[in-house]
Amino acid sequence: MSDQIKQQPPAGTGRISRPRTELLTIGTGNGSPTAAIGQALGGSVRRLFGRHTPWLDKAAFVLVGVLIILAFVGPLIAPYDPSVTNSALSLKAPDAAHWLGTDELGRDVLSRILAGAGLTLLSATAIVLFATFIGVLVASIATLLPRWAEEIIMRACDIFMSIPGLVLALGIAAALGPSMQSIIIAMIVASWPSTARLTRGILRETMTNSFVESARILGMSRLRLMLRHALPNSLDAIYVQASMEISGTIVMISGLAFLGVGAPPPSPDWGSMIAQGQQYITTAWWISLFPGLAITTGAIAFGLVGDAVRALADPTSRRG
Amino acid sequence: MVKFVLRRIGLAVLSLWGVATIVFLMTKLIPGDPARVAAGRLATAEQVEHLRTALGLDQPLLTQYLGFMARLVQGDLGTSVTTRQSVVTDLAAVLPTTIQLVIVGMLFTALIAAPLGITAAVNEGKASDVAARIIMVLAGGVPVFWLAIMTRWVLGSILGWFPISGTNSVGMAPPNVTGFTVLDSLLFGNIGNVWDSVTHLILPALTLSAPFVATLSRIIRSNMMTAMKSDYITFAVSKGVPRGRIIMRHAFRSSLGSVLTIFGMQFGWMISAAVLVEAVFGLPGIGTYLYKAILNQDTFSVLAAVFVIGSVFIITSVIVDFLQMIIDPRVRRAQVGAA
Repeated sequence: MSDQIKQQPPAGTGRISRPRTELLTIGTGNGSPTAAIGQALGGSVRRLFGRHTPWLDKAAFVLVGVLIILAFVGPLIAPYDPSVTNSALSLKAPDAAHWLGTDELGRDVLSRILAGAGLTLLSATAIVLFATFIGVLVASIATLLPRWAEEIIMRACDIFMSIPGLVLALGIAAALGPSMQSIIIAMIVASWPSTARLTRGILRETMTNSFVESARILGMSRLRLMLRHALPNSLDAIYVQASMEISGTIVMISGLAFLGVGAPPPSPDWGSMIAQGQQYITTAWWISLFPGLAITTGAIAFGLVGDAVRALADPTSRRG
Repeated sequence: MVKFVLRRIGLAVLSLWGVATIVFLMTKLIPGDPARVAAGRLATAEQVEHLRTALGLDQPLLTQYLGFMARLVQGDLGTSVTTRQSVVTDLAAVLPTTIQLVIVGMLFTALIAAPLGITAAVNEGKASDVAARIIMVLAGGVPVFWLAIMTRWVLGSILGWFPISGTNSVGMAPPNVTGFTVLDSLLFGNIGNVWDSVTHLILPALTLSAPFVATLSRIIRSNMMTAMKSDYITFAVSKGVPRGRIIMRHAFRSSLGSVLTIFGMQFGWMISAAVLVEAVFGLPGIGTYLYKAILNQDTFSVLAAVFVIGSVFIITSVIVDFLQMIIDPRVRRAQVGAA
């Protein structure tokens, strides 16, 4: 048994850890966890703006940064009040005063898009964070449980996943009644099972590493093994997964809002704006066009960042 | 083989039961009085009480659950507040429209994604690869309902190339036999009807295919790139096999494995995306039904439609698995071995 341990290099040395696990090895190092996180993030940022990163990825990161700032300061820099109606200004085409025109109630489209940025982007981020948290929790517990219990939990996830996410979320949001909270709750419920599935896969893969095996042979308890080794060494893959989810979540939130299960009318969220503008499309195309461009921009920027994060973490998976 | 088929069907039944349970739990999420919601806003107090007894909402939870399952097995999904008809009758009438849309959408997806992915892969790094990848990124990020509104406006309203809504022009609808307008038109035997039905389908199906083209073409591109670098391609090149033949016969065919799996799964996802596209184009499918039910706060019809979509998704995934087993001997051996 001791021979077996000697044959394997100790945890964290370059030979067995693949490129992916070298990015964030939080908790396994000797320093404090916060220092490890700081070091890892510093490394990523350096690598991100280093010369090996494609310019498109850099542009996407900058764009996402701008979008996140807009999400917070959007309502402050909006030129007009997004909810004040003025029938005299109804359906005005884009001009110098109203860059993106006005809607049927005379509200400034640009101001509404800016006011809605936070609603869409922060909700999407919150959904992904919560769903990832629940998914990781469930997957970790399932991995610790006996084989049959793990099987039952994973089957339950499969059943949740057998209803397409949009439809599942639509049903839950419709049952809860139209509001932004409904969409957020519905999306979390609809998306944690796939996170749990993916996380379980990641955990299992980490568990096959020889340093985990060595720790197990040395008599470490399953719980400790999970908390000290399996989970910390899976975190980078979990982050990558989460960053790739945001883009789709943005599109799905707006789809649900478009179908009418989102916040009731005065709310400036992008999906509802498109829905309201739909009937005026032939005369006042700007009401629907611009919020849609905003969603597309957000989705593509976050999507590219997700791909870039994956590529940074695992150069061998350079996207196709 | 038989064992595998039975196992797969057993799993599907288990999933159906699970979906039914999830839908039952959703009815418990409704705030306030569910009987009031089931009866609709215009119902009298008497009707609400009647429905409460009929649905067993005054019974303990377990009895409610068993009653719900019993009604479901008998094909009773309740009565729509909006149409005053059985939800099953309503849904049976609209489902063919959705399935027809999804099938044509799948066809467009394959027809667009394959050339896009192949072109990008064989010209890796060149201008056409970059162009193809820009198309992939755009198609993947654009929300399908917004794309539907925009194509309908530009290609339908402004340019007038396509009809903007419905399944047929006034007076051009074929007699309803199967519910699939194209098939019905063919059965009716009038070329004008066929043309009318097809042109009404093109724009919705094309929009619907966009996000799926993005996924599929990316996979085809990366699979093809791997295949093009393999030894057998180098061998074929050195043997002097024509380039077109190498690309299609050798590289593309061998990269189809995971493509077929994804393509099969997309059928289910496409049904949910079709919900959004139908709502825009006013196609009388399950999406428009859902949209109207949400507008009318007809929550029980919404949940019934969710159940039906979930069921269609489960059934198609079983069919896809079986088809794959028939098509690909490698899958057949692997799965029979596992079962």
